[in-house]
Amino acid sequence: MLEVSFEKKFGSFALKSSFCCDKEVLGILGPSGCGKSLTLKCIAGLFPPDRGIIKLDGREFFNSEKKINIPSRNRNIGFVFQNYALFPHLTVYDNIAYGIKDLDKSKRHEKVMDFIKKMQLTGCEKKYPSQLSGGQQQRTALARTLIKEPSLLLLDEPFSAIDTHVKSMLKAELLEIIKKYQGTVLFITHDIEEAYEMCDKILIMNGGQCIQRGDKRDVIKSPVNLDSARITGCKNFFDVDIVGERKGYNLLQHNGLLIYANKNNKTLKEKMTAGIRQHDIKLLKEAEGDMNTFECEIVDVIEGISYSTVFLRCKDLLLQAEISNFKYSEYENGKAFFYISPEDIFVVSKE
Amino acid sequence: MTNINLFPLFLSLKVAFISTALSFLIGLPLAYYLSLNRSRFSDFLDTFTNFPVVLPPTVLGYYLLVLLGRQSFIGKFLEKNFNIMIVFTPAGAIVAAVIVSLPYMIKSSKTALLSINEDYINAARLLGRGELNIFLTIMIPISYRGIISGVTMSFVRALGDFGTTLMVAGSIPDKTLTMPIAIYNALQSGDKAMANLLVLIMTSISVIVLYIVNRLEKKMKRG
Repeated sequence: MLEVSFEKKFGSFALKSSFCCDKEVLGILGPSGCGKSLTLKCIAGLFPPDRGIIKLDGREFFNSEKKINIPSRNRNIGFVFQNYALFPHLTVYDNIAYGIKDLDKSKRHEKVMDFIKKMQLTGCEKKYPSQLSGGQQQRTALARTLIKEPSLLLLDEPFSAIDTHVKSMLKAELLEIIKKYQGTVLFITHDIEEAYEMCDKILIMNGGQCIQRGDKRDVIKSPVNLDSARITGCKNFFDVDIVGERKGYNLLQHNGLLIYANKNNKTLKEKMTAGIRQHDIKLLKEAEGDMNTFECEIVDVIEGISYSTVFLRCKDLLLQAEISNFKYSEYENGKAFFYISPEDIFVVSKE
Repeated sequence: MTNINLFPLFLSLKVAFISTALSFLIGLPLAYYLSLNRSRFSDFLDTFTNFPVVLPPTVLGYYLLVLLGRQSFIGKFLEKNFNIMIVFTPAGAIVAAVIVSLPYMIKSSKTALLSINEDYINAARLLGRGELNIFLTIMIPISYRGIISGVTMSFVRALGDFGTTLMVAGSIPDKTLTMPIAIYNALQSGDKAMANLLVLIMTSISVIVLYIVNRLEKKMKRG
């Protein structure tokens, strides 16, 4: 169980981190400069917080009141840096062996060779980091960390330095390694897709604050506020009036449009902001039913490989939708209908 | 050609080697300290160690004379307890050479140590190593080119010093007469052949050293 609750001031930037997690993969998601990297460094003991507590499995790493601050070298935390920080003057073998110098020679050799095999680095033992591919570098960094059997694994944007075409392969690899690892993993990223793929739970940070923590599905489904919705990738927002409840949903009104939305937000005010994710909009050639189905006009299309971004106008609303296999010719004069399941519409308080 | 006395060459090389070794032993730990510390004291120390670069050599030599002379506290102490005299001895030449070359050693090493990516050091910390261990196994190997460049600069500086050495060690033939002073003396006494030869030797050494430094710097840029 990792318990984190601390404050740290850096010039005009104030970080306030507070969360717990237990034997799970927690994705820390936020825009750059939100304090997610600093949070990780404080947990690792590379920066002392100003105030607060950092505790792992009952052992206090940091406690400002009791003046406890265990140095990084005694925390046994595994840390994979953004650019892996492999020691450039050491071979793959020596990099991996660096953290277990206390073991006796034969045992150490056995363990290093075991990890080299496990991490598919056979043949790279004598190579230097600069001679490795991105994937090999990542595996070496993971081997160097995991060989110490750390009680906590911290990953700082492990894919930021990787080319897109190898990223998906590396994701699968890393996912497998993470699953085998039994302890808690914190995974930093600014990419919601990545966080969703790699993690069980997601913690959203913004401006030095933790604004939401929960199961990844819940975080996507019901963001607590506009920032959280934006950080998790939502692009369609519009002001609504809450007019009541019907059929088990909240009934919203925007410029004459009546919209049904989920009831996940418990603190409703009269005027709120509604959000719809791009991939939740379904484009139809003809209206099917009347709940949450609206006539619209296709105003622009950005064609992508797997899906296209379609811009729709409905009265004064301009919405973006991600539609797979989109063909403009199927829609006469750009006229179409769109449908959104009430479950996929959320409301948050206005800013 | 007259009979050539090569004593100044050997003395200069001896002084340069010993003082470079001392500069290394004093300068590297100091550079390490300065690279990780941003306190007031380290700022002061940083400025202070650079003093020999900006002070005129004769002024620097004068300070050393005052500090280490037979009448000074340190001078008296050394003479009484260890029978060591610094002023007007080869030891004085070494002290002068260390003082003038130390700033180059410190500056070059400090720059190299500061340019190490902090992540390497943090990674080593998280892998369970202590600070001194990290300095020896990570920081020195990564920044060794900068450190060697500092050593070479110190060596040339020590080899070529004129003013400070003259003030502290004097120019006693076959005792404290170093190459730069010997060149001056040869020219003064009209022995052009001697001056030319000594100048040629000194130039060759300098060219070789410069070549080494340049190669190191090129490699440093390439990473």
